[in-house]
Amino acid sequence: MNFNWEFFWQALFTPSRQFLDGLMLTIVISVVAMALAFIVGLIIALMGRSKFLPFKIFASLYIWVIRGTPLLVQLVIIYTGFAAAGIFRFEDADLFGLVIRGAVQAAIVGLMLNESAYVAEIVRSGLESVERGQHEAALSLGMTPLAAMRRIIVPQAIRIMVPPLGNSFNQMMKQTSILSIIGVSEMFQVGTIISSATFMVFEIYIVVALYYLLLTTVWTFIQAQIENVLNTRAGLPKAEPVFKRLFGVRSKKMTRQQLQQHADAVKA
Amino acid sequence: MSNTSETATMADGASGSGAPQGESIVKAIDVHKAFGDKVILSGVSLEVARGEVVVLVGPSGAGKTTFLRTLNMLEPIDGGEIHVNGQRIGQKVNSRGKLVDCSARELAAQRADIGFVFQHFNLFPHMTVLENVWHAPVHVKGENKNEAVAHARELLEKVGLADWAEARPRSLSGGQQQRVAIARSLAMRPALMLFDEPTSALDPEMVGEVLAVMKDLANGGMTMVVVSHEMGFTREVADRVVVLDGGRIIEDGAPAQVFSDPQHERTRQFLSKVL
Repeated sequence: MNFNWEFFWQALFTPSRQFLDGLMLTIVISVVAMALAFIVGLIIALMGRSKFLPFKIFASLYIWVIRGTPLLVQLVIIYTGFAAAGIFRFEDADLFGLVIRGAVQAAIVGLMLNESAYVAEIVRSGLESVERGQHEAALSLGMTPLAAMRRIIVPQAIRIMVPPLGNSFNQMMKQTSILSIIGVSEMFQVGTIISSATFMVFEIYIVVALYYLLLTTVWTFIQAQIENVLNTRAGLPKAEPVFKRLFGVRSKKMTRQQLQQHADAVKA
Repeated sequence: MSNTSETATMADGASGSGAPQGESIVKAIDVHKAFGDKVILSGVSLEVARGEVVVLVGPSGAGKTTFLRTLNMLEPIDGGEIHVNGQRIGQKVNSRGKLVDCSARELAAQRADIGFVFQHFNLFPHMTVLENVWHAPVHVKGENKNEAVAHARELLEKVGLADWAEARPRSLSGGQQQRVAIARSLAMRPALMLFDEPTSALDPEMVGEVLAVMKDLANGGMTMVVVSHEMGFTREVADRVVVLDGGRIIEDGAPAQVFSDPQHERTRQFLSKVL
C-alpha cells in the first residue's frame, strides 16, 4: 500500500490555510442554513396545521416536492438552472464588507429549502406529541391559541424535537460535501483541489473524512448538552451520555428505561 | 349548601329549566350540538344563579361533558346561546347588527373568567406546581408577578399542597395533581368554576381529598357546575341536580327531591344503577 504518512500527519495536524477556510465555510453554511431552515420549517409546519385550506395545500406540496427530489438536483436547478433560464442569478454580494459569493448564497438557500421540509415534518410530529388536553387547559385559562402554542405547546414539543433535529443537522453537515458541484469551495472541494495538485488522493480524503467526523462528533456533544439543559428544565433525568451515543454501548435495560421515560414524558 | 336562601327556592323547582332566583351567572338557552350525524345536545337550557352548585348527572353519552364544555366554548355550539356573567360567550353582534363569532382574543378574555377543571388534570409538565398556578394570572391577566406568586402560594396552602410548590406535577399523585389544577383555575379569580368529572380518573383513596377541596369551595360561595358520578358529594353539596339523558335535561331539582322522588322514568332507571 502506498500511504505517505508524513503528508497525512501534516495535512491532518497542520492543515493549509485553504483547507481551514474550506472547513470554516462548511461550518458557516451548515449553521446558517440550519437556522434559516428551522424558521422556514416552523412556518411550513404551522401552515400545515392551519385551517386555511390554501396554506395546508401549499405545505403538503412543499414537503412532497422538496423531500421527493434529490438535494443535488435542487441545487443545480436553483443555481445553474435558474441562471440559464434567466429567472434569477445569484451574484456575489457584499455583507458588512464581507463578500459572499453567489454560489455560497445558492448553497445556503438550497440547503435551507431542502432541510426545511424535513424540519417541518419533525416540528409537526413534535407538536402532535403534546396531548390535546394541554391545549385545552391553556385555552381554559384564557390564553389565545397563539399564546397556548408559544407558552405551553412549543416548550414541551421542543424537547421531543431536538433529537431528530440534531440528527437532521448531522446529516446536513455531511451533505455540504455535494456543494462542490456548484463550485463552493467547502472542505470537500478543497480536498479535491489538494488531491489533484499533490496526487495524495487517499491521504487527503482520509483527512477530509476525519474532519467531517470531528464536526459531527463535536455536534454530538453540543446536542447532548442541549438535550440535558432541556431535560433539566423539564425536571427529567439527564439524556444518555455522549460516550454511549458514540459507541453504542446501550444495555437493553437502559433502552427500555429510556423508552419508559419518554413514554411518561409524552403522557405527562 | 353554598346559599341557603336559594336552596329553599330550588327545592320545589322540580322540573323544566329551573330558573333560579337572584342574579344568574350562567344562562344557556336551547343549546344544540352534533358531531357529524350524531346529535349530542338537542336543546339544553339551564340557568345557574350566583353561588349555586349544580351537579350534572346522567347515563354516559347523555351529553353532560359536552354541555359543560360548551359553557366556555371548548366545544363550539351549533345552535342556541350561552351567557356567562352577562356576556354572550363566543359570539357578538357586530357593527352591522349581525351575529358573528368573537375573535380569538375576545373569546380568550371570556374564558379567563371561567375556571375549568379537567378529568385528567392537564397540568403543565414543563413548569413547577407553583408556576402552574401563577403562570396564567401573570401572562394572561398581566398581574404583578410577586403578587401572583403570593396568591398562588395562598391557593396551594388552601388545597393543602404548600409543601409541593417547587415539585413537578408528574411527581404528584393524581389527587394532588387535581388539587393543583383547581388552584390553577382559582388563581384567575373566576366568576364560575366548571368541573368535568374531576374524580373519575383518580384511585378511590384519592377521591375524598379532591371532593373536600370542592366542598370548601362551594361553602365559600363559588358558583360551580360539576359533572360527577359522586352521588354522596352531590347529595351533600349540590343545590341542584340536573339530569341529562339523550341530549336533553329530563329533571332538575334539589338532590333530596330528585334522589328520593324522581319524576322521570329514565331518572329512576339511572339512579337505581348509581345509588
